[in-house]
Amino acid sequence: MNRREFLQCTAILISGVSASQLGFTLSVEQTTYLANAPDYNTTPVDYFTPAQRKIVAAMAETIIPRTDTPGAIDAGVPQYIELMVANWLNEGELAIFSAGLADIETRIPQEYGTSFDQLSAEQQLEILEALEDEASDSEWYEFGNTLREFISEAPFICQIKELTIWGFFTSEEGASQVLRYDPMPMYFNGDIPLDKNDSTWSSPL
Amino acid sequence: MIEAKQYDFDAIVVGSGISGGWAAKELTEKGLKVLVLERGKPLQAGSGYLGEHAPNWKFPYQGKKPRELYAEDYPVQSKVTHSFNEGTRQFWNNDKQNPYAMDEGKPFMWARADVVGGRSLIWGRQTYRFSEMDFKANEIDGHGIPWPVGYEDIAPWYSYVEKFVGINGKKEGLPQLPDSEFQKPMPWFALEETINERLKKKAPDVTLTNGRVAILTEDLPGRSACHYCGPCARGCSTGSYFSSQSSTLPAAQATGNLTLRANSVVERLEYDKESGKISRVHVIDAMTKERMSFSAKIFFLCASTVGSTQILLNSASEDFPNGLANSSGTLGHYLMDHTLGLSGAGVFLDNMDSYYHGNRPTGLYIPRFRNLDGQDEDADFVRGYGYQTATLRVDWQTGMNNKGFGASLKDSLRKPGPWIFALAGFTECLPNESNRMYLSKDKVDRYGIPQVVFDFEWGENEVNLRRDAKIQADRLLKAAGAVFSLLGNDDMSMPGEGIHEMGTARMGADPAESVLNAHNQSHDVPNLFITDGSFMTSASCVNPSLTYMAFTARACDYAAKQVAQGVL
Repeated sequence: MNRREFLQCTAILISGVSASQLGFTLSVEQTTYLANAPDYNTTPVDYFTPAQRKIVAAMAETIIPRTDTPGAIDAGVPQYIELMVANWLNEGELAIFSAGLADIETRIPQEYGTSFDQLSAEQQLEILEALEDEASDSEWYEFGNTLREFISEAPFICQIKELTIWGFFTSEEGASQVLRYDPMPMYFNGDIPLDKNDSTWSSPL
Repeated sequence: MIEAKQYDFDAIVVGSGISGGWAAKELTEKGLKVLVLERGKPLQAGSGYLGEHAPNWKFPYQGKKPRELYAEDYPVQSKVTHSFNEGTRQFWNNDKQNPYAMDEGKPFMWARADVVGGRSLIWGRQTYRFSEMDFKANEIDGHGIPWPVGYEDIAPWYSYVEKFVGINGKKEGLPQLPDSEFQKPMPWFALEETINERLKKKAPDVTLTNGRVAILTEDLPGRSACHYCGPCARGCSTGSYFSSQSSTLPAAQATGNLTLRANSVVERLEYDKESGKISRVHVIDAMTKERMSFSAKIFFLCASTVGSTQILLNSASEDFPNGLANSSGTLGHYLMDHTLGLSGAGVFLDNMDSYYHGNRPTGLYIPRFRNLDGQDEDADFVRGYGYQTATLRVDWQTGMNNKGFGASLKDSLRKPGPWIFALAGFTECLPNESNRMYLSKDKVDRYGIPQVVFDFEWGENEVNLRRDAKIQADRLLKAAGAVFSLLGNDDMSMPGEGIHEMGTARMGADPAESVLNAHNQSHDVPNLFITDGSFMTSASCVNPSLTYMAFTARACDYAAKQVAQGVL
């Protein structure tokens, strides 16, 4: 099998849309392929209030902004965070998250006169930096902690950073437009030139 | 009255993993009608690999673990962090449905598959020959009993299976790690070449070579060379890595002599006093709980070390009150596993402008270098260990907990960090009578079969080997030029964590102290063969699957001849 054949197979597996455009009908069996599932961050969720949704999106975009490449909002990170908060955080983690978000929701209008998402990028950054300063003793920042389990005691700012960064680099936009994505490399070469500006590969989990 | 005895099948093979697949292939190709019984779910090669090639953004939670589900249903299997995830979970045992009796004081991790193909779908694919040194070890240092088989007996069978399996690696000519029949080796990272040059000068006692893996670099009939997508354990529809699904079961199917029955839990084997042989296998259908039995001339247990011995212990009868084929009393004993774990990892700033293309599905390997010519003076242990290595370039996952926000954070996370080169020691485990498995007296599974209980502790030799692996890793990482290195701790891996369970029905020349003879045939019951890891008389320090395959093929050749001659 050559690279082109592989990519055709992969295209069929990965994209239900292109398969149907090509006139293929997917069997029931095929539709259960994970590669053919909808993107996780398009799963419907209705957990946050509209106001909270705006705040979370603004925080995610402050952490990973759009530059000459997509940012957190482009990559569906706000939806990812809402899904993870609604379905994945345990009770204790959820309490920390909810309190952290409630603090932003109530305190910021008192201090700045308007909600977080309405502030300038500089003000938003200043607020997150202040939260990070307060949290800097957290275990979350310890060297080499990143291959561990999710730290249940991590403060709100660490939770939202982790969910944003994870949600971004595992998204299609983050993986293929900010990192480099190649599902069918076809060969291994352990010595190709790396330019100073090159990104890492998006590695399969 | 003379009546020709009618059998349902010529041979029955229990298990469809690495060993069972080989038994099915060999026996069917020799013309025997074979029934393979697999306790796990049916699975179609290729179309059944539901996680294959799925990008990260398709995973539930984009790859964060479903923690509640794992804690509730997969508390043991989910500890196999290198290959258990939502892309592979369908292959694994559900611990809640199929439990064993875990003693928290003496934990033993039993990683199990639950599909046709067994653990051959999710194995690490490392394939190494045992050496003459390994087969002689027990005899020389007195731990365990001598192997009744020498390297020269099994070498042709290694070659035979290797040509079919497809193993890539590099010939080194080392006595402690005989070369296999190799396909062309996978290329190296530039950093690995750099490290190798330094080790040649500063640590000439070690050899850095390719990990020898059952992954094709050249096409074989019906199977394509590796496409380097990375996560093999999700299944490989191109058959690039060896599994019974990709290779041996299709070969057996092609003969027209194979009947494969999934969802078939073997409860026990029935011993017939009159003939002195096993007459039937008793099976419970995992879905319907229907009971049935099948007769055959010969029976091959390939249900994994623990699984096969569980069946024998549960097949006790008047004639074999302590378990079928257990007149020696050794059944269930001499359980072994390799210890594993990080010995050391170094950070390297060499070859920073070099990168890679493709996901190479193996690291390199440092074969055993301790106690090669007799006992090393500074060694407080017998035998040795090898290192599997891993080379990786730090990415966003490692930098995730950095401080900062915005464009600069995004930019630093997207770029590669330094190189890491890690050494994971796999140490030999001595055969020890007190390390054993047995059947619970009060706990049964959902079929009413007594649960397995483990009683296993690492010995002093394993502890000392593991410590030495760490000390030597420090030396080697310095010699390799690491700017900074982190050493593993002294904790031992949980017994079973190596997923190399061996022993419990060992082979030996003396029926009074072993279960099997040199042909993997029961001393007590001539039509019973056991060719999974339970036959292992010693463990070596190398990954054992290749040895199971070679012994299975050899045992099938012997058994089929016995059947042809009318002996069995």
